[in-house]
Amino acid sequence: MLTTGFKLWFGSCAAALSAAVFAGYTSGGTETGPISLGWKGGVGDHVTYVLFVTAAAAFGLLGIIAVAFRDADSESVAEVLGVDTAPPAQTQVGSSIWPVLGALGVATLVIGLVVSSALFVVGLLVLVAVSLEWTMNNWSERATGDPEVNRELRERLLRPIEIPILALVGIGVLVLAMSRVLLASSVNGAVLVAGVVGVCVFGAAFLFSRRPNISRRVVSTVLIVSCVAVLAAGIVAAATGEREFHQLGGGSGGDHVEVGE
Amino acid sequence: MTETAADTTRMGGVVPTALEAAVTTTDHLRIGRAWLASGALLLVASLVAGLLVSVERMDLTGMAVFGDVDSLFRFWSAYRVGLVLLVVVPVFVGLATAVVPLQVGASSIVFPRAVALGFWVWALGAAFTVAGFVIDGGLGTPGAVSRTDAVALTLLGLLMVIGGICCATVCILTTIVAGRTAGMNLSRVPLFAWSVLVAGSIWLVTLPVLAANTVLIYVDLTGRSAVAFGVEDTIWGQLSWAFSHPQVYAFALPLVGIAGDIVPVAARRRHGNHRALLVLTALIGVLSFGAYAQAAFDIGTPIREQAIFVVEAFLIVPLVLLVLVGLVDVLRRGVGNRRTRMPAPLYLSVLSVLFLLNGTVLGALRAVAPLDLLDRSTTGAQFTFTIGAALLAAMAGTLWWGDLIVGRVVPQGFGLASALAVAVGIVLVAVPDTISGFMGLTDFTGGDLGGAGNPESGVDVLNTVALVGSAHLLVGALGWLVTGVLRLRGARSLADPWGGHTLEWSTSPVEVTSESPLLDATVEAGA
Repeated sequence: MLTTGFKLWFGSCAAALSAAVFAGYTSGGTETGPISLGWKGGVGDHVTYVLFVTAAAAFGLLGIIAVAFRDADSESVAEVLGVDTAPPAQTQVGSSIWPVLGALGVATLVIGLVVSSALFVVGLLVLVAVSLEWTMNNWSERATGDPEVNRELRERLLRPIEIPILALVGIGVLVLAMSRVLLASSVNGAVLVAGVVGVCVFGAAFLFSRRPNISRRVVSTVLIVSCVAVLAAGIVAAATGEREFHQLGGGSGGDHVEVGE
Repeated sequence: MTETAADTTRMGGVVPTALEAAVTTTDHLRIGRAWLASGALLLVASLVAGLLVSVERMDLTGMAVFGDVDSLFRFWSAYRVGLVLLVVVPVFVGLATAVVPLQVGASSIVFPRAVALGFWVWALGAAFTVAGFVIDGGLGTPGAVSRTDAVALTLLGLLMVIGGICCATVCILTTIVAGRTAGMNLSRVPLFAWSVLVAGSIWLVTLPVLAANTVLIYVDLTGRSAVAFGVEDTIWGQLSWAFSHPQVYAFALPLVGIAGDIVPVAARRRHGNHRALLVLTALIGVLSFGAYAQAAFDIGTPIREQAIFVVEAFLIVPLVLLVLVGLVDVLRRGVGNRRTRMPAPLYLSVLSVLFLLNGTVLGALRAVAPLDLLDRSTTGAQFTFTIGAALLAAMAGTLWWGDLIVGRVVPQGFGLASALAVAVGIVLVAVPDTISGFMGLTDFTGGDLGGAGNPESGVDVLNTVALVGSAHLLVGALGWLVTGVLRLRGARSLADPWGGHTLEWSTSPVEVTSESPLLDATVEAGA
């Protein structure tokens, strides 16, 4: 049976091809050029000819897609699947963090292209990680018919890799940001910053341990705000640059004492 | 309405926080809302740029606002690029993401995570593009006043914007092609879904060309010593095809579908010939393919003087006219069926088709070589009519489907007033630009009298009218934004506020058995 989609797209494809041949012959094409896509002779006006042939190709592709999906004809779909009635069109999927992380990876890559190659590499690494995670997610969701088993399967495979890597990356980024802040501060300022941050970390840890029933929302908010603050301070400090260091001793051995401004 | 269990509870049964839900959602209604809200915000930003350019055009003898021509050009091009790629297309994508799956009877959009990826890539790309324009980048001449790294940021931001739009479009088109409910073949697809299928197909074959142009410029910009395509200094020249005839029609095409879906329900009357409208929409889409019309690569006869360009410009006019006639005919035949006042989106959607017709007529006039309008302000007028029409239809669409997308109602009067302010703005900007074009005013006036064409012919007065129009547009856009905020605080909406009885208003996918599903239920109910 010829479906409506088949008739529409392949009809348009045939019309576009006919128009291409007609345009070719009426704009200086040779005898065999327009019907052989330019293989045996000229096609006349290239722009017009290429335009129509491209349109024909696009219509043909849409026609193939329409045929492949049987144009949503319920009887055909049921027949292909070997069931009495066609199944629902679409199944639901759950929420996912990977799209937004993937976009952040692309954004890092782009900023890296403009600012520094190191950031570009970071963006690439983020994209590779997101691609792997996303792929594994999709695989695990279809591994068995039981969502609970699928979830366990994924966690058993990926958690041993994710947790150490994310911890290392998180610690590394925070240490890097803090080091930028300390290097940008004066000598006394650096001591003060290190002291205050240390007290805050221990204070928060003490508080959380004393109140085990504290809500997840409060803990995550405090952690996110703190991390963002350290990151922002690190970026600002990196942009400001390190304080001036004076080499004392002058030797090449590397022993030096730094004096801040 | 279709908030899914999968979306409200994360794996493990933990309820996510609002922030977590916002960044991890794959619900098509939420993502659609995100597109719409971002588009509305960026509309205001784009119109501020347009207003500043209009103020500058008040005095063609100097640079009162911007100080130099490059900065003026930066904002002038930001206005056009912004309205198309940061406003109109994203808003249509948002509407389609939210509405199309429901229209075709799919329980969700196909590849929902890819849709989310598309949105986030587009949003970050839009932020980079705007940042690039603001920090002396944009699409001007690098090395003059523009900073090369800022120009690079703008170009890369544009690439992300195009990538995000294409990613989301692929998902929407796949939903229409493969996600339809059983029994709904292509000839039964509602007009909005159909127009998105046609327009999206054109976007997918033309936006990558725009991306390729951008890559070419970027490579030339950053690797000048090694690679020199010679296009670095003519950035706008290479990209401008996407913002003028005929490509600009492709971006506005979903407006035909919006009007086509609103009018019959509002008028309580079926389309005389649903299939004819499907074919007309498809033909307009085919004729709006504009990736070939790149004047920057002219060899021999300029592309804009070739027969295909001229014929295309003239053919599209009767097609849009036929669409308008078809809609008016439905209205005429259905006027007696409605006992209550016609809804606001009806007026706006019909007005949008009328504006599109104006845009196509101007496009045809531009193609007439003796009139010499190709680089005149008529180009801007055609852009304003066409993209303005799309904007108006988007406003109509959000008023029509807003109850469905947000689940809350908004006073129609306020939305109508905002949209009418935009409509008045479109007329006040486009009509003076049309007349000025005939008087010799150039599309980009530049910073001196010589570059502006023929400024002594009285265009100063017309530029003042255009400035008032720009202010109207901005006020209307702000009103639209306020309408959205009011809707968030509104009362809960009815399941089917317009009595459409079409698939998008039902809560679960329905198998379609009729050849003409639109309004079937209405007719059966004796409305």
